[in-house]
Amino acid sequence: MGFFGQLFVMAVSAIFIQNFVLAKFLGLCPYLGVSKKLDSAFGMGMAVIFVMTVASAFTFLIDKYLLVANGLEYLRTLAFILTIAALVQFVEMVIQKNAPALYKSLGVYLPLITTNCAVLGVAILNVTPLPDGSTYNFLWATLNGFLSGVGFTFVLLAMAGIRERLELVDMPKSMRGFASGLILAGTMALAFYGFMGLKI
Amino acid sequence: MKFYLKLGFILLAFCVVATAILAYVNSVTKPRIDELKRVAAQEAMAKLIPNAEFSDVVIHLPEGASTPDSLVYYIATAKADSTKILGYILSAEKHGYSSNVKTMAAIDTEFKLINIKVIEQAETPGLGANCSSDSFAERFKGLLPEKLLVDKDGGEVKAMTGATITTRAVTNSIRETIAIIRKDIESRANTLPEVEA
Amino acid sequence: MSFFKELTKGIIKENPTFVIVLGMCPTLATTTSVKNAIGMGIAATFVLICSNIMISLIKNITPDKIRIPVYVVVIAAFVSVVDMAMAAYLPDLHKSLGLFIPLIVVNCIILGRAEAFANKNNVLNSMADGIGMGLGFTLSLSVVATIRELLGNGTWLDMRILPQSYNPMLIAILAPGAFFTLGFLMAAINMLKEKR
Repeated sequence: MGFFGQLFVMAVSAIFIQNFVLAKFLGLCPYLGVSKKLDSAFGMGMAVIFVMTVASAFTFLIDKYLLVANGLEYLRTLAFILTIAALVQFVEMVIQKNAPALYKSLGVYLPLITTNCAVLGVAILNVTPLPDGSTYNFLWATLNGFLSGVGFTFVLLAMAGIRERLELVDMPKSMRGFASGLILAGTMALAFYGFMGLKI
Repeated sequence: MKFYLKLGFILLAFCVVATAILAYVNSVTKPRIDELKRVAAQEAMAKLIPNAEFSDVVIHLPEGASTPDSLVYYIATAKADSTKILGYILSAEKHGYSSNVKTMAAIDTEFKLINIKVIEQAETPGLGANCSSDSFAERFKGLLPEKLLVDKDGGEVKAMTGATITTRAVTNSIRETIAIIRKDIESRANTLPEVEA
Repeated sequence: MSFFKELTKGIIKENPTFVIVLGMCPTLATTTSVKNAIGMGIAATFVLICSNIMISLIKNITPDKIRIPVYVVVIAAFVSVVDMAMAAYLPDLHKSLGLFIPLIVVNCIILGRAEAFANKNNVLNSMADGIGMGLGFTLSLSVVATIRELLGNGTWLDMRILPQSYNPMLIAILAPGAFFTLGFLMAAINMLKEKR
């Protein structure tokens, strides 16, 4: 399998088969919280892709050359989450300066990317051995971060698209908001189960 | 600029304090945790093959074949009669769904599985994590290494619902480890009494 | 607000799961059985109380601009310490709760409460908030888990409730079932609120 073949397998796996949100239960808070409007979902998705890609690259290097090299694996969680927090802070400052409207609509969820478990999840997954015992190298770890972010954004946008249309639907008042969002998520998770049988 | 430097400095100070505390706690707790793990492994072995004494055998693997270059397994001999071999205990390890799954398995002299015990795992609670249960171990009892494949892969191990990947990790790691130690056991078959003496 | 009021608000009025809608990942991932739900709840409550106290103590010496990285460091360090100490001195407890401890770092309830409450209030109230929120979290986890375990396995806390002839609804234990259960529960709570 050439480079592009491998890339394709990883993409299909990260976006459909092992989707972070629907199969791994990671990153649910932003998934439910920022999926009411397509615009803010798009902004959030882009921010997450960026943070996940850069975080994957940074944490991989930190893990390999700082932690494992010195036998400091027990500091992993601390080092990773700090890297992510610093990155998010950076993204927040950039968005606040260049896109104030987007900043307003992302609201409380921007700092919460820090605790978006999908980001820490991908960072930790990148440094754990694969089923065949090998580990990712720097390039593949970064690509994995990027593609997992794309997978997250994909379901976030799908969800936001559906919820925007549901705004106009006549449904019981008690089902509005998070309740219908969760049931939608369940239906989507069910649909994504269909991908699990995929053998690549 | 000076302001940002100050911020960075404060953050750094927090990190240093946190790291120092973690390093201290780690240095205090690590020996204890390792000791507890060792005791737990011994208890697990005694449970897998009761009334036995264990002696370890180290196999050196050919270089480059896999990451660890040696492998340890244990020969279990009857407490009453040290020339009578009851079976072998091996430890296997493979990445499952969300964590490394470490298993101990006991096989008899015909390489048939006596019992298994999952020692370490952090799989999905309620699904993969159930691999620590006795009912999961039940699925392996009495199987020959040739049959050690998940049912979906054509073998006889019934996969846990919603946790095929975990089941597969346990199954495959045991099968592969048996394959490695089998050669070693068979090569020393004639010299067994001396090994035990 | 009094100590007692801070303590009770998290249980129903500001329930972290059903009302504030935070900490969704552990809520959905660990509610496959009541035993797991209670384990996660207790572990999270413990960390929540301690992190609230800690953050309330250091709130005056942290500059506003870097407060989130600082809180994250405090919480992560704390969780690691708890994890290691438990493994060394309370191995049995660690065996049953250990699985959930690393998950706590990314439980947004902890950072959420640090940000929304502990950095504005004194130590005593922050502690009360931590206890209340933790109990509320444990309660809602147990409710979700009760439904899922009952439907998906016919048991409650590993005790058989439904007769052996009951054919388990496996979907309740799998991922989609988690979403459905929580969604319908939330709708039911909304309905009760409206009726009032």
